[in-house]
Amino acid sequence: MPLLGSFCLLFALALAGYCFVVGVVAAVRKDAIGYRLAETARRAGMASFFAVLVAAGALVYAALTDDFSVAYILHHSNRALPGPYKFAVLWSGQEGSILFWALLLSAYGFVLRLRHKVDQRLVAMASMVLAAIQIFFLILVNFVANPFGIMDRLASDGNGLNPLLQYPEMVIHPPMLYLGYVGVSVPFAFALAALIMRYPGEKWIHITRRWTMVAWLFLTFGISLGAHWAYAVLGWGGYWGWDPVENASLLPWLSTTAFLHSVMMQEKRGMMKVWNVWLIFITFMLSVLGTLLTRSGIVSSVHSFAQSSIGNWFSGFLAIIFVVCMVFYVRNRDHLRSENKLESLVSRESSFMFNNLLLLGACFAVLCGTLFPILSELVRDVKMNLGAPFYNKVMVPIGLSLIFLTGVGPLLAWRNTSVGSIKRNFAIPATAALVIEIVVGFVLYKNGVHFWADMGQMYAMMAFCLSTLVIATVTSEFIRGGIVWKNKLQTNLLAGIYQLSRRNMRRYGGYVVHFGVVLVVIGLAGAAFNQDKEQEIGKGDKVQIGSYTLIGEEYTDDDNANYSSQAALLEVYKDGKFLTRLNPEERFFKASGGQPVHIVANHSTLREDLYVVYEGRNPDTDHPIIKIIINPLVNWIWIGVLVIVLGTGMALVPNAAPVSVPLRSAVAVSQIDERGMQPAGAGK
Amino acid sequence: MKKILKALLLPCALVLLMGADNQEARFQNLGGKIMCTCSCSQMLLKCNHVGCPNSDQMIRELRANVSRTQNDEAVLNWFRTKWGVTAVVEPSTHGFELLAWILPAAGLGLGLMLVVLLIRNWKMRPAPVAAADMNLAPNLEALRDRARRETEL
Repeated sequence: MPLLGSFCLLFALALAGYCFVVGVVAAVRKDAIGYRLAETARRAGMASFFAVLVAAGALVYAALTDDFSVAYILHHSNRALPGPYKFAVLWSGQEGSILFWALLLSAYGFVLRLRHKVDQRLVAMASMVLAAIQIFFLILVNFVANPFGIMDRLASDGNGLNPLLQYPEMVIHPPMLYLGYVGVSVPFAFALAALIMRYPGEKWIHITRRWTMVAWLFLTFGISLGAHWAYAVLGWGGYWGWDPVENASLLPWLSTTAFLHSVMMQEKRGMMKVWNVWLIFITFMLSVLGTLLTRSGIVSSVHSFAQSSIGNWFSGFLAIIFVVCMVFYVRNRDHLRSENKLESLVSRESSFMFNNLLLLGACFAVLCGTLFPILSELVRDVKMNLGAPFYNKVMVPIGLSLIFLTGVGPLLAWRNTSVGSIKRNFAIPATAALVIEIVVGFVLYKNGVHFWADMGQMYAMMAFCLSTLVIATVTSEFIRGGIVWKNKLQTNLLAGIYQLSRRNMRRYGGYVVHFGVVLVVIGLAGAAFNQDKEQEIGKGDKVQIGSYTLIGEEYTDDDNANYSSQAALLEVYKDGKFLTRLNPEERFFKASGGQPVHIVANHSTLREDLYVVYEGRNPDTDHPIIKIIINPLVNWIWIGVLVIVLGTGMALVPNAAPVSVPLRSAVAVSQIDERGMQPAGAGK
Repeated sequence: MKKILKALLLPCALVLLMGADNQEARFQNLGGKIMCTCSCSQMLLKCNHVGCPNSDQMIRELRANVSRTQNDEAVLNWFRTKWGVTAVVEPSTHGFELLAWILPAAGLGLGLMLVVLLIRNWKMRPAPVAAADMNLAPNLEALRDRARRETEL
């Protein structure tokens, strides 16, 4: 199997090389022979997917059959490892994860090349760009980080999978994140291809819109799965620690989000062409930078692999990408002139521009914070890490401004918005936001929370207010448009909203995404009201936190082939009434030298999580030490993510056929222009 | 416009003037800026785990410092001197560490300048199509298409 894997990787490299070189020749020739050559290049690119698939299959087979003659399997698996985790061995180490990256890249390439009839010339050029990226990753897995290296001596058992990865979500989280990282290669390939070809119009934008949304969806889902895993496994009570590797995943997410918004300016008004092309270039470069940060060991992270020379390869690759993008931009920049001008500062266009400014500002701030330790080491010879307090101070104001724009933007019309329209559209959402703010403030005050004395809680209050504004805006958009369709089709409001959404899935899917985002924001804001306590709990001992009382009932030890464990059984009472039993646990994985992992016990409701961690035993009394945290509103984050997934899914669905409305009377053209043709709820 | 500006500035000023000033709140706030040095990579007040060789001592020192001095920056500097600069995860507001605060702000400021320049550039550019020059019926469908494109899809 290792031999077959190695051969397939070499064969895949040859096929990707052929796809690239012959693709270049075909692009230069532009005749009948060139056309036929381009077809062979396309087929070679598709075949490379199958070669990498077989190689990846060989590695998984080696993991499933405990083939410890393969060094990678020896270092990342063991006999007692459960089956699904053996599958996850594919991406649990450096060599395997690069092979997995190459597999996903070739899979994306396969689909792209399969759908070449969308636009044969553009797809051929994009396929060539993608082949160039494939070549880089296949060179890495063949010559720098080969996952099929053979051991000199045969070992009886392996070193095991990192215990932190032995959690069901960890089987899904890395593939999701990788699908997002690798997915941005496709819009990048199309953008660069369109620039190289001086391709007319916005077709590349139309073709890549869904690709970009799919990549964004995977990134969003991958990041949130990682956050949930950190919450459930790491046992520190949080879900986001501003770790450099977490930051590395956030960077392309922020720039892709900016792109998904600014691309609408190009589609509708032919504006911001340079901006969009560079946004997608930057997004791809950030996804490579993320890999560079994780692989090189230049920043300290709980996720980082040991330092290796592979970081230099990624640095070189990053430099090549930048030079290629810059060269073609300088040569063809006249092709990217805007077709329209901005007519008013109070318009949808300007809201998109400020949205992009804030998203990229956030991206830049995270990048500065992530790279600051490197700068600090260069200047002062001390690697100073920046932690959550720094990021919270910088990012929270940017985040709040973004939510404000999320609430305001949809109410602004394209081209120009009148003062009357602003007053009319904002009255209800602004009133709702103020009312909710007052109610929440009153409820908190009644519960003894003096939010005005704590900056974090003040920010949380602002987040609640702005989130209400967004929810009211989104709801009013659905209702206003729904009423129009209700009257038109003589049906009920819900059917009207359904018809409205079906005719512009992208716009209303986008609103659902915004709704999901504010649910996440509300959940994040809840962290300002956390309470925690750590205490030793023997049998019958009580601990009080908030309205909860926890009583120690039992504590036990257990042992199996993979790990030994210690656990406590606690009875939980809320306001004096029995609520539930919780069983926090700590596992010590044998193959990893007894490395401990927390299995958190969590009683989760919409209002708050009662999060209980088994911290260990006091060696003097042998009693378990339990950490209890009350995390308000955490569930809103996970529900928000599901709503975002639903909204993105909606936006990916094609619209229903448009309804033709007969022209009742001739309207002066100049009048149409003056009105700006903004129908009820005109938007994205 | 002035009213809107005032309405926006008032809450901002209130927010800036607010903040924790009592001892316990200062202790909690500073404890969230100092990292435990036992290599657990956790904030000092979060890392009161069993058997930690440093956190108890550091927490005692923090409490003593908070009651001794009113200047939060002086407390953080004391920790930087005793436990090394890596013990404090929030950069100070002077010297080299000031750069960490300046860079994001400068990036946003530069972006804002670019946006303003871009808007000025667009406003000065002549409109590509003069609406008044167009006539009624012949171009109506084309205009409807344009309006549909710009407002709907």
